[in-house]
Amino acid sequence: MELTITKRDGTREPFNADKINRSIERACAGLPDAISMVTQIATETRLTLYDGITTEEMDQATINAAVQNIKEDIEYDKVAVRLLLKTVYRRVVGDYENSQEVLRKKHRETFPAWVKKGVDDGLLDPRMLEKFDLKALAAELEIGRDELFLYSGLSTLLHRYSIKDKSEQPYETPQYFFMRVAMGLSFNEKDPTLWAKRFYDKMSQHEYISGGSTNIGAGTTRPSLSNCFLMQMEDDMQHIAKSVADVMMLSKASGGIGLSVTKLRATGSPLSSNNTPSSGPTPFAKIVDTAIRAIQRGGKKKGALCFYMENWHYDFPEFIDWKHNAGDDYMRMRTADTAAFISDEFMRRVENHEMWYMFDPKETPDLVELYGTAFSKRYAEYIEKAERGELRVFKKVPAEEQYRQILVALQGTSHPWLTWKDPINLRALNNNTGTIHMSNLCTEICLPQDRENIAVCNLASLNLAAHIHNKQVDWEKLESSVRYAIRQLDDLIDINTLPIAEAEHADKENRAVGLGVMGFADVLEKFGMAYDSPHAWDFADRIFEFVSYVAIDESANLAAERGAYPNFKGSGWSKGMVPIDSIAALEKDRGMELTVDKSHHYKGLNWDTLREKVKRGMRNATLMAVAPNANIGLVAGTTPGIDPRFAQVFSRNKISGKYMDLNHNLANDLKNLGLWEKVKDRIIADQGDITAIDEIPAHLREVYKTSFSTSPYAFIEVAARAQKWIDQALSRNMYLETRDIGETLDIYTAAWRKGVKSTYYLHMKPRHTAEQSTVQVNKAAAMGKRGFAAVMEAAAEAPAAAQPAAAVPAIPVESVAPFAKVPVTATTAEAKLGPMSAAQAPIDAMPVKAARPFAGAKPAPQQPLVQPATRPQATSPSPAPGASAPRIMPPSDPAEANLCDSCQ
Amino acid sequence: MLIGKASPEDMNIHPIHYQWAYDLYNQAVRNTWFPHEIALKEDLYDWEKMTDDERHAVEFLISFFNPAELIVNRSIALGIYPYLKSPECHLYLAKQMWEEANHCVAFEYVLETFPIDRDKAFSLHTNIPSMKAKEDYINHYMKRMTEDTLDVSTPEGKKDFIRNLVATNIVMEGIWFYSGFMVVLSFRQRNQLRNLGSLINWVLRDESLHLKFGMNLIQNILEENNDILTREFADEIKNIVVQGVDLEVAYNKDLFPRGILGLNADYVNQYVQYVADRRLEELGIGAHYGAKNPAKWMSGATDVLELVNFFEAQNTSYEVDGHATGKKKE
Repeated sequence: MELTITKRDGTREPFNADKINRSIERACAGLPDAISMVTQIATETRLTLYDGITTEEMDQATINAAVQNIKEDIEYDKVAVRLLLKTVYRRVVGDYENSQEVLRKKHRETFPAWVKKGVDDGLLDPRMLEKFDLKALAAELEIGRDELFLYSGLSTLLHRYSIKDKSEQPYETPQYFFMRVAMGLSFNEKDPTLWAKRFYDKMSQHEYISGGSTNIGAGTTRPSLSNCFLMQMEDDMQHIAKSVADVMMLSKASGGIGLSVTKLRATGSPLSSNNTPSSGPTPFAKIVDTAIRAIQRGGKKKGALCFYMENWHYDFPEFIDWKHNAGDDYMRMRTADTAAFISDEFMRRVENHEMWYMFDPKETPDLVELYGTAFSKRYAEYIEKAERGELRVFKKVPAEEQYRQILVALQGTSHPWLTWKDPINLRALNNNTGTIHMSNLCTEICLPQDRENIAVCNLASLNLAAHIHNKQVDWEKLESSVRYAIRQLDDLIDINTLPIAEAEHADKENRAVGLGVMGFADVLEKFGMAYDSPHAWDFADRIFEFVSYVAIDESANLAAERGAYPNFKGSGWSKGMVPIDSIAALEKDRGMELTVDKSHHYKGLNWDTLREKVKRGMRNATLMAVAPNANIGLVAGTTPGIDPRFAQVFSRNKISGKYMDLNHNLANDLKNLGLWEKVKDRIIADQGDITAIDEIPAHLREVYKTSFSTSPYAFIEVAARAQKWIDQALSRNMYLETRDIGETLDIYTAAWRKGVKSTYYLHMKPRHTAEQSTVQVNKAAAMGKRGFAAVMEAAAEAPAAAQPAAAVPAIPVESVAPFAKVPVTATTAEAKLGPMSAAQAPIDAMPVKAARPFAGAKPAPQQPLVQPATRPQATSPSPAPGASAPRIMPPSDPAEANLCDSCQ
Repeated sequence: MLIGKASPEDMNIHPIHYQWAYDLYNQAVRNTWFPHEIALKEDLYDWEKMTDDERHAVEFLISFFNPAELIVNRSIALGIYPYLKSPECHLYLAKQMWEEANHCVAFEYVLETFPIDRDKAFSLHTNIPSMKAKEDYINHYMKRMTEDTLDVSTPEGKKDFIRNLVATNIVMEGIWFYSGFMVVLSFRQRNQLRNLGSLINWVLRDESLHLKFGMNLIQNILEENNDILTREFADEIKNIVVQGVDLEVAYNKDLFPRGILGLNADYVNQYVQYVADRRLEELGIGAHYGAKNPAKWMSGATDVLELVNFFEAQNTSYEVDGHATGKKKE
């Protein structure tokens, strides 16, 4: 095929295979079996080329070829990362010679000029120039840390967080990005350069990562850095209209929103103006749903909002169906999410088989402000009023029936999420300014708000996996990460600009932050612990106790240095309370004990000393909240939040792309055992569940369970243990295989009994998925049928008849030659590699990696101890066309039954 | 017996003779989805930025899919349903026909949303020879069953029934559609047309079930009717498949007169052969092409479970379950 390439300026040049080969070779340098990887990528790139392809498409084609091989060997991930980085470096740093040393130097030298240009272009905050010693910071940039990325993480960072130029191309390298965020949060420090350096060091090594909005806005001219907002619609038209406008402004500033609609009067409730009946909350919610859909960033990211409603609201049954896929579109929320805000009173009525009453908030206006026994008392009074006929609007239903309705909707539509008002309020240390009426979009924030205050939270997450060395937690390092993260979050608040006065006000008065944790499951795997084991739960306890202690201590230190937050007086903190102390308050109010281990698992923390310190002042109203980290978890290359592995291999459907997520810990373990090549196809065929793969040792199958094969009670236990120490809450994703509503009811009730404050999205295991493409499928064999096989075999003796009349020439993959100049022997390869030869292993041997092996940051690029005896067949360039002889699937192989897309 | 004249007992669903058909029906019900759940408009941003060749490919595919769904329906209503006795199969086919209608409306929704010249799109399947050839092929097999009445008590009648089933279910739904889906999903793979991708995910999930039903039907009919299980008939069936692949190869040239990033006609043809081999193996005939799957990335598109960040994309893997809703609203 005659191929020409369209260059950036539009001119064409003949396709040069050698050039592409060399760039792939460089990306594979230093990796085991680099030669066959080069061949594989070159061959598959070649398959997709066409005449007139642009250079950019060509780069992308090469990256894609590397990416689609990650499932064969995780080493391809590194190649994809390097190929992608190359395109970024070219754009930001400029053309560079192929020497890594030159690039490293140039990457630093360019930095001061880059900041200057960013300010001139109006993208970066002028303080980025004024406040810092740019040369000193440039010297801190470690381009080698780019090797810590996995492809999905790098791609996510580039798509979502890094600044782009007008043509939507990268404007900053990943290290510039980390430095921008670090600088953008240090403006007000006494020594901004010093603190920027410290923050950079932490983030660039993925020890913690800021929340999304902070990553997008820090250091730029639009520093809207907060992640979460909580607000409530008041029951008057003016405020409803204002709320819609506020939602739009906050969405534009890329915040996620929790919006309570509990106060809106019920359907049929008379309007004061003319006594016509109200239409209830649904139509107003629909306006908001439509509004957030209108706010789109780059045509991709919609506004994100979760509606909250207390389940005593008259229209709650309608609310349950808001996410249903059928029905009147005006009563359905296509974009927003929903969460039920549930009282202990309700849970008790379910258990006691009592009736549940639903009221018009217009007639029961104080219920929304009450919680615990105070709520129960008032609720009982309203029931009496209702039964006496003194309420215009109410209805009742057996409590258990409503509970079931919620769970049925949850199973079919994944909504509404269950969150519990009473543990949220009774365990709060920050509700001296008012009742907490809702959580946020991701159910981990617990902040009070009112008409004058839109609650705001600012987030960052620790990456636990980056704090593990030799199967041990590096507590010292973890402590410094927690302290820096809290300080960085506190710094953020004074730089933050928010589009609405009520939000700005709440942010400054409360200085609420939420430090979370990610990589929990990743660390368990590295330790060889199963997620559903008591060891894992004790570990959760230990980690969260430590993180909580240090975070509180640091906030108290900051208060001593900078003063307490304005609303400190009267808070739980001011009474010397720490989160663990509030369990007693909840138990007392409930009149029952939480079914959770209440002991300390991290020995040696002096909580009494801390209580005294806290009493003197806290810098922040809240400190901890475990966010889901669906994106920054990817950036850090670890498991998000406290989530288990969804599966050992699965695909992530993200705004920034669709990524195959393969568990590198498992792949490394299997490589070391020499099993990877044997089982890798089977792992995909079994959709990432290794339970039934007998070749894999039982202890590994125990550790590497998927989310659906892990007991749902383990998710609850981990959340309950962590919740002991956390002042806000956790985004507790749930995963269920069972569709039995009774079982589901038990699971969620157990969560409530353990004091869990909130649950998040419910993932149901699909019973049926599309027919698989890349693994062998034979539906007939799976049903034990052979079709025409018998007559085909009988006639096999007569070869003349075997050829069909109208056959098209086959176009098997092997017939497409790899690029002509791909080195096929070791000698030529090494000769060609030249300065990039394996001996010098440029990228892999960068000082940062050699000197500071952050083994925990992500699966180490270890050479397997045991080299697999054979390479995957696919990487061999030689098999002749037709080598894969047509054959009939043996129906006897029981494994094949699993290959079928059967609906069990 | 699966095929034949329905007797009064065949009006009773119980006892169930073909449990697989009943199971498939239940799963199909759970898979119910509606096109408007997808915010297709958000893909317009990508559409604007796509190259002419890319837009051509999408237009071309939708122009084929849209009428093709109706052709399948016609084939079921006139060529398959009437000749089956089993009530559980009828249940399933009724749901399948709704799904085909739903797919047709889904593609209609695509045509309404994307700035595609509707008249041109609607005329493509009659104007473009390679596309028309595919339709002619299907109509050829359908004709005997729809224009004449088939006597399925005779071997020739049974064979006609199988021929039609192979042409519509195996070739059209199981090979042509599959290759088309791969092409659309490739856009999703490089982060374009995400919502159309979600729509296709759903269609593909449905089609996988259709195919499973069709394969079950063929296998069981062959088992129940030994008289048509001959080498000659096997060769004939194989030719029907091979012919279908030939037509697809010609069609792919028009789909990709040049190439686009990640795809060209040869690449798609290789995928078609790979899928055709799978179908031939399932029929017990054995692979014909020995082609390898060039689209390794499809493992991420279809082979493993998908984790959706629900505020980023439509979760296409949930199921509605009729059983759990026993205690619905008052």
